[in-house]
Amino acid sequence: MLAYHCNEDVAIITETVNEEDVEFRIHLLQEDPYLGRLKEIRRYFEDNDIYTDALFYIYKNHEYGAIVRKTYYTDFVLALMKHGLLRSVEWMDESAEMQH
Amino acid sequence: MEQQTILAIAIFLIAYALIISEKIHRTIVAMIGGALMVILGIVSQETAIHHIDFNTLGLLIGMMIIVNITAETGLFKFVAIWAAKKAKGRPLAILLVLMLLTAVGSAFLDNVTTVLLMVPVTFSITRQLRVNPIPFLITQIIASNVGGTATLIGDPPNIMIGSAVKELTFMAFIQNLMPIALVILALLIPIFIFLFRKQIKTTPELMQSIMDLDEKELLTDKKLLTKCLTVLGLTIFGFFIHQLVHIESATVALAGAFLLLLLTGEHMLEEAFAKVEWPTIFFFIGLFILVGGLIETGVIATLAEKAVALTGGNVTSTSMLILWLSAIASAFIDNIPFVATMIPMIQDMGSMGVSNLEPLWWSLALGACLGGNGTLIGASANLIVAGMAAKEGYSLKFTTFMKYGFPIMILSVILASGYVYLRYLM
Repeated sequence: MLAYHCNEDVAIITETVNEEDVEFRIHLLQEDPYLGRLKEIRRYFEDNDIYTDALFYIYKNHEYGAIVRKTYYTDFVLALMKHGLLRSVEWMDESAEMQH
Repeated sequence: MEQQTILAIAIFLIAYALIISEKIHRTIVAMIGGALMVILGIVSQETAIHHIDFNTLGLLIGMMIIVNITAETGLFKFVAIWAAKKAKGRPLAILLVLMLLTAVGSAFLDNVTTVLLMVPVTFSITRQLRVNPIPFLITQIIASNVGGTATLIGDPPNIMIGSAVKELTFMAFIQNLMPIALVILALLIPIFIFLFRKQIKTTPELMQSIMDLDEKELLTDKKLLTKCLTVLGLTIFGFFIHQLVHIESATVALAGAFLLLLLTGEHMLEEAFAKVEWPTIFFFIGLFILVGGLIETGVIATLAEKAVALTGGNVTSTSMLILWLSAIASAFIDNIPFVATMIPMIQDMGSMGVSNLEPLWWSLALGACLGGNGTLIGASANLIVAGMAAKEGYSLKFTTFMKYGFPIMILSVILASGYVYLRYLM
């Protein structure tokens, strides 16, 4: 499984695992340039052929949400990494505990 | 019967059967059928081109360009989330507001484009509420066909009828079809509440999560939004006055589309054209040539003669026959090829002594549009929603949809029959 470490200077990311999907809550600590990057991630998932791979939500308190289908979890985490919202990503054994 | 006539009927029936079977894409079937009509000499290339209704094609292309550019601004998502918040996040209330939005959008944008915009935002809301999206999709399909009935641009059958009969203007469609569409829509609200009230329940926390959304953030480009709303408003105004200024509806839509492209700049041009549903446009082209073959060989005139003989040329019987035949046929076959065949038949009836064609045109429009609700394959919008749902892992089965759609279709056609009789035939 994929484990990741948040870039604590940039964002606080929490996730809740549901039956079929994983719900992310992203609180940006630095809006510039990371809000733009988050929007790029959103555009990437919205413009592809699958509507429900990652659904994005913007909340009033400047928090951002994403409900990600389990099959697209890796794609989403790697997109966060690519855009600098994560510090590191690594493959871990299923038994190992995921770190945030 | 002449050899050319037999060939034309054979090509048409084989193409029709292949379109219904969905084994081969309907656009390929229609275009090959149309090409065969020309290759076998049933119609010359010039006659084939003459049979293509460029007004229908222009109207569709123009509206697709305007709506696709407007979608880029996030406007439709904004409206859906705003409406969901007005419904206080309650699933049943959201189901109803999204249904009404679909109906209004279908009337003024066209129903195929509207469902393409509504389905993704429906997935987004239902996923957040953790409710089954299928009841939402069923109600939106039904609303798209009822809403589309109300205007000339709402549903492909109406576009084709409005294009073929110059007297049936945008205003004429609104004056004649909107009242009955509104009655049917009003009747659907209690029916949907009764049918789906137990299926879509959620928790107060998830309802609150809808209320916490900031819909204003969904509007991505406010300058573009202003341009789109201005052009969309001008285009709809143009539809209202198109007969007064002696301009076809396609000219209004295409002028609107290219005005918007002028305002947005060249960078939008390629993207806007890429998003036009070219398979649908070519499906229409092939279909017009297929029907052209039947017209040129006299098949349509013979069918019209037989229909007039069956009803004795009586306008009431002919209207009811067209309304119910269109509804039942449109429930089981795509209503676009059906209407393409019926239009020249009704035109021929005019030359065979049926004095008042107006009730026949409204019967055809009502039957074809409302009939589309009978089954999942009844209208393009239905197939598009089912296809989008299947791709996302939600199976909207033929029988599931029919369980709701067919009784609603029968009920709406009974209402439409009463309306046509009371308004035009009494």
